[in-house]
Amino acid sequence: MKKRYDLIIIGGGVTGCALAWYFSHYDFEIALLEKEMDVCCGVSKANTGIFHSRSYWTPDTLKGELHLRSLSWFPRAKKELDLPVRECGALTVALSAADIGHLREVKARGRCPEAEIMGPIEARKREPNLNKNLKAAYYDPGTVVVSPFQLVCSLAECAALNGVEFHFDQHVRGFDQTSKYIRVLTPENNWEAAFVITAAGLFSSEIARYSRDKISDIRPCRGEYFVLDRDCDGFVNRVLYPAPRERSKGILVCPTPEGNVLAGPNFEPLDRFDSSTTYFGLEEVEKGAHRLTPHIPLHKNIRNFSGLRPTLPDRDFHIFFSNTYPNLLHLVGIESPGLTAAFGIAEYVGEKLHNKGLTLREKNDFRFRKAFPVFREADWKTREALIREDPDWGEIICRCEEVTVAEVKHALRTPPGASTLDGLKRRIRTTAGRCQGSFCLMSIPRLMSEIGNVPYGNMYKEGRKSPLFAGETREECSRSEYAEKGSC
Amino acid sequence: MPKKVLADVVVIGGGPAGMAAALGARESGAKIVFLLERGDELGGILNQCIHAGFGVQRFGEELTGPEYAGIYKDRLASSSIEVMTSTLVCEVNRDGYVKAVNRSGIWEISARSVVMAMGCRERTRDMIRIPGTRPSGVFTAGLVQYMVNVDGLLPGKEAVILGSGDIGLIVARRLELEGVRVNAVVEIRDSLSGLVRNYVQCLLDFNIPMLFSHTVTGIRGEDRVEAVKISKVDNSWRPIKGASQWMECDCLLLSVGLIPENELTQRLGIPICPESGGPYIDEKGTTEIPHIFACGNVSSVFDLVDYVSIISERTGSAAALKNPPAPVSFILECGGGVGLVVPQRIRERGEGDIFVRPATALRDGNIRFQRGERIIYEKPISICRPSEMIRIPSRGIEWPHETGKVKIEIDGEPVQGI
Ligand SMILES: Cc1cc2nc3c(=O)[nH]c(=O)nc-3n(C[C@H](O)[C@H](O)[C@H](O)COP(=O)(O)OP(=O)(O)OC[C@H]3O[C@@H](n4cnc5c(N)ncnc54)[C@H](O)[C@@H]3O)c2cc1C
Ligand SMILES: Cc1cc2nc3c(=O)[nH]c(=O)nc-3n(C[C@H](O)[C@H](O)[C@H](O)COP(=O)(O)OP(=O)(O)OC[C@H]3O[C@@H](n4cnc5c(N)ncnc54)[C@H](O)[C@@H]3O)c2cc1C
Repeated sequence: MKKRYDLIIIGGGVTGCALAWYFSHYDFEIALLEKEMDVCCGVSKANTGIFHSRSYWTPDTLKGELHLRSLSWFPRAKKELDLPVRECGALTVALSAADIGHLREVKARGRCPEAEIMGPIEARKREPNLNKNLKAAYYDPGTVVVSPFQLVCSLAECAALNGVEFHFDQHVRGFDQTSKYIRVLTPENNWEAAFVITAAGLFSSEIARYSRDKISDIRPCRGEYFVLDRDCDGFVNRVLYPAPRERSKGILVCPTPEGNVLAGPNFEPLDRFDSSTTYFGLEEVEKGAHRLTPHIPLHKNIRNFSGLRPTLPDRDFHIFFSNTYPNLLHLVGIESPGLTAAFGIAEYVGEKLHNKGLTLREKNDFRFRKAFPVFREADWKTREALIREDPDWGEIICRCEEVTVAEVKHALRTPPGASTLDGLKRRIRTTAGRCQGSFCLMSIPRLMSEIGNVPYGNMYKEGRKSPLFAGETREECSRSEYAEKGSC
Repeated sequence: MPKKVLADVVVIGGGPAGMAAALGARESGAKIVFLLERGDELGGILNQCIHAGFGVQRFGEELTGPEYAGIYKDRLASSSIEVMTSTLVCEVNRDGYVKAVNRSGIWEISARSVVMAMGCRERTRDMIRIPGTRPSGVFTAGLVQYMVNVDGLLPGKEAVILGSGDIGLIVARRLELEGVRVNAVVEIRDSLSGLVRNYVQCLLDFNIPMLFSHTVTGIRGEDRVEAVKISKVDNSWRPIKGASQWMECDCLLLSVGLIPENELTQRLGIPICPESGGPYIDEKGTTEIPHIFACGNVSSVFDLVDYVSIISERTGSAAALKNPPAPVSFILECGGGVGLVVPQRIRERGEGDIFVRPATALRDGNIRFQRGERIIYEKPISICRPSEMIRIPSRGIEWPHETGKVKIEIDGEPVQGI
């Protein structure tokens, strides 16, 4: 394994992966270091997945500027990443006369030519499940929903396709300087690079302190969600925002690209990193969702989750070179709309490194990612052809989401491949359906052991500390791996 | 091209219900019968139930799940029924057209009758909204039964089980036998959900504590379960403030109910009964669409597989016949004390059985069927529990000439604890 690179990126969330993808267009040797076993294990795995339109940018902030920049990248990224999106548009809903003023502000800020403010009848024609008492709604066709998992994984796959190395289980603990390079220290390795970028999400202030740079603490702000069964698809067809409040975009209801309905998030500042869901938070989300859509079928909930926004006191992104190591760039406080702004962030970082002397020479053999077919979404003719080509397409192991063995194999094998249960879930939706794995859970480890040669004792839900099993039964024990470890 | 075939009867699901229905159809004269099973083996839930406790009603002896399934598998092997395993049915339409997928391709089977026998799935953590972290180690109890009995793997070293139904109790014993400590079985009701026999043999004999009127209200542990919060609840099952404590464990098993798997049925527009979770059916398993049938756990969760086999054979026979069903004579409705009833429709008086599940545990009471003011059936019951369906042969009921709604009620003294 080579350990000297032109560029090292720390953190495999959407920010790190967008940077990897962006820089993989140029002639560099790049490595991405991530402490977990996969990409998309941090903030990027638990959010709303909305590509906010211009209407929701925050003027006079860096995050606002990069949000706008990012929007112009979207068509190109979609093409290079072969990313499925739901271009559904959004309605921002005023439930009181006072809120109508907010709608006008949003409209004025967005300056989107096709956006309009409409009355309740028109709004309910578009979204019949909207609260009858709404006073007006602002319609903005530019809002898009993506699967954050698909976005991060496709960025990572495209980057890997273009030569970026992904190294997992690499917990960065410090930095050092050699004559020409910055040294990145992980417990087992020392890595070196001319330039280093950190994109560590919730740990971004902490990592900046490893290089003795001064920055405020990250304050996590929790948001909780409901995910409804796919048979609720169509309950809402657009993102429904409440008229904006000060701190966040409020509790919204929206469709996902896969056909679930999402309700959330609330906004709860915490003094520690605790991503538990709570009675209190879920109740708040329930209330908020009922205000927008009084008949939302929350009893069809298949999953609750919560995410932590990595916020700084001034609620903005901070992107700065270290005072200690001139070629070390920190990205701190990448909170909402970090997903939307990812491409803009990458471009901005590119400019900063360029100004520091990094030459950006474009490769002439950059390869686009090609998405693998999704059995669930394929029509019958395509399915027929797929099975003819490879019988693995005819073996469905996750019945709720209709995922086939062919898709599991592909997800395990395509770099940076899945290596955990959640890694598969994020790529191909095994265990993401209504049974939450109570049927298919056991067929997945069997495939992982067959295809990836992973021993049962080394199978994890997400991280190294989350083993799926605690050993084997007495009968199995006598002849197996666990016996050696003496755990029977 | 998809493989197109014609059939008299297609049965979806190869558990005990599906196997019996396919055999029933064949025996009643259906020539071409297809039995489609998603798993790589027939048997359904039985394959993971290695404990004895099956077949007393049907075969007069105690068998294990695989033994019980084996009898049907043998019968199927010597019949001319087309069995396809590793085959998932993805679509059914109202004309009896079934689309299935397996490694050899796409199958389009046009059938005169379709029998739904897809069984049920388990309720999950998110359906009962247990808040907390989302670590590894939260499993449904049936999944753990499969994990341990079929794959030989253990879910943890120290478990807490939520729900005192039979699956939870049996899994508790299985884990203790494998050296996994069960710290407690926690039940939100004030009485046992499962059989007393299972309570004695699975919990008492292993010194596993049972907590009534308690539930799990939190999960701790970022990566793997470290503890669960156990709270006392009031009469309306709301946690009582201050009456909770954390109990250490590395896995939480949920035995909190089963849900009939009716996505295929619902997509046909067949109405689902809110109490049973299955389609409204008559004594032969006929749904609202006359050539579409349902039997076994897809119609309502049964506690005894023997009943499932008996009913499903009858359903299979009905599916084989060409004549349209008689008009509905009676509609059965749940009254006080009744959790559910199947079938909910009666066409022919005196045929088959009626199964009633009590809503709560009661003693020294009565079960009553009433047509208007008139009592058409009444029987004392010494004790009844939600875990045990009451089986009432239809011929024991004095069905009146006049058709219409029949209300079923159970009364008695509430039972607390065991
Ligand atoms: C509730 C909620 C809703 C949101 N909704 C939206 C939305 O709708 N639209 C939108 O645009 N944005 C949204 N956001 C914001 C968006 O999710 C985040 O801005 C974005 O995901 C941040 O990505 P990241 O890559 O910077 O951080 P992360 O995804 O957290 O990635 C950081 C990575 O760095 C790794 N790491 C940390 N420390 C180290 C170390 N020392 N060594 C090695 N690796 C390390 C972590 O393991 C992690 O994988 C939302 C956020 C939240 C919480
Ligand atoms: C964990 C557990 C323990 C039990 N213990 C006992 C006991 O001790 N004693 C007792 O008498 N009873 C017991 N029971 C009850 C008994 O097992 C059930 O009543 C019986 O299995 C129901 O049979 P079934 O065929 O309706 O459903 P299942 O056994 O669930 O079979 C349904 C079959 O349909 C298949 N299927 C579903 N959808 C599709 C599709 N789309 N395409 C193709 N195939 C499909 C499934 O793979 C499955 O094999 C237990 C039940 C459970 C869940």
